[in-house]
Amino acid sequence: MFYTVTLSLLEGFLGTIKLFALTLVFSLPLGLLVCFGSMSKAAIVKYPVRFIIWIIRGTPLMLQLLVIYYGPGIFLGVNVWGSSTTGRFIAALVAFVINYACYFSEIYRGGIQSIPVGQYEAGQVLGMTKKQIFFKVILLQVIKRIVPPISNEVITLVKDTSLARVIAVYEIIWNGQAFIKSSGIIWPLFYTGAFYLIFSGLLTCLFGYIEKKLSYFR
Amino acid sequence: MAILEVRDLKKKFDNTQILKGISFDLEDGQVISIIGSSGSGKTTLLRCLNFLELADEGTITVKGQQLFDGASPVTNANDLRKNRLHFGLVFQQFNLFPQYTALENVTLAPLLDADSSEKAQIIENGKRLLDQMGLSERMDNYPHQLSGGQQQRVAIARALALKPDILCFDEPTSALDPELTGEVLKVIRNLADQKTTMIIVTHEMSFARDVADIAIFMDDGMIVEKGPARDLIENPKEERTRQFLSGLSK
Repeated sequence: MFYTVTLSLLEGFLGTIKLFALTLVFSLPLGLLVCFGSMSKAAIVKYPVRFIIWIIRGTPLMLQLLVIYYGPGIFLGVNVWGSSTTGRFIAALVAFVINYACYFSEIYRGGIQSIPVGQYEAGQVLGMTKKQIFFKVILLQVIKRIVPPISNEVITLVKDTSLARVIAVYEIIWNGQAFIKSSGIIWPLFYTGAFYLIFSGLLTCLFGYIEKKLSYFR
Repeated sequence: MAILEVRDLKKKFDNTQILKGISFDLEDGQVISIIGSSGSGKTTLLRCLNFLELADEGTITVKGQQLFDGASPVTNANDLRKNRLHFGLVFQQFNLFPQYTALENVTLAPLLDADSSEKAQIIENGKRLLDQMGLSERMDNYPHQLSGGQQQRVAIARALALKPDILCFDEPTSALDPELTGEVLKVIRNLADQKTTMIIVTHEMSFARDVADIAIFMDDGMIVEKGPARDLIENPKEERTRQFLSGLSK
């Protein structure tokens, strides 16, 4: 039984990791775009972007999943996601990407704004272009400062993926829970915790390594 | 002909007139020290010369070429960037780039626009400058591994690496512990001996007197008195200059 459960949970965990990895791949760069939007000098860009960030950060991710999955069907009369497993997965991915991009954007903004203005001015008086200043001087300092908060969000994401099951996206909790019905046992559900723990442990090590790599300067 | 001609420079922030018409000339190889109390506009003047701020009125001419005219200011980023290269600026807070070593700080900007054949030359020049600053043992150290005085000397080498026509200092020793100011003042003094054209905003009166050819006393956005540095600081003509200087010695 233990073997069967482990196999099933591993399979579910694959779904978890897929959602986790794809969310990061899209939301990390999208977050930078949202960040530039929220810092834009043009009010017509800045305020709508900040409004969206407020909505996304101000409502539960579970609710966002439901709205994104069922919303188009209810409000537009078209179920853009279809009813297949892939369709539900993509809907979940979209919700996660939007949600995490907004959180990341605020972390980026904090990081960029924490760099002293003297760093920009030193670049300017050395005749560097705006782009050179950002990429050669500012960016690495920002990365160093945002690694701890980003690692926090990434570890939260590992566990947040379990919310996807409200729209029936298969992931590890879903598979664990299935054993209650099929075999009348609850321990597989508790056992899922071990998978999360091991994975977030690995991520903690990874981020620790990155922090250490960047500790050569202050 | 003067290497730098500044005419009637004015700058306002919100409703406060910070510079009320500054004019002066600087000859090639000359050193000008600018003294005055905080808020007199000294730093703003340097920032306008380095185009970190754009003056509202007035002109800035370097080697006969007018770089700036308040009536039709250059705002194009690329032109601004080229204009800035005529000036170097050493900041009060050093502003070294923390992720680069001392040598990398000095060579970063020159290397950006260099082709591969010039690279070795630029790195050699960077080493020579750091050596000249007494930092030959410190080239591979990161800023946080250096003392304030060492950091400021790296910053001076960094500004020199771009061979500016005029090197500006904004209170270069104000952020330093007293025992570290000497080493920075010494390298500036050496630069003066080598006929580097400099504008030095400073609160170190004896330094302003001994190193500069000309001293300018600024108060309330205006030049109150200008003259040979020794005369101005030892025998000021204007009452306000006297007040300022006697206030310091108390």
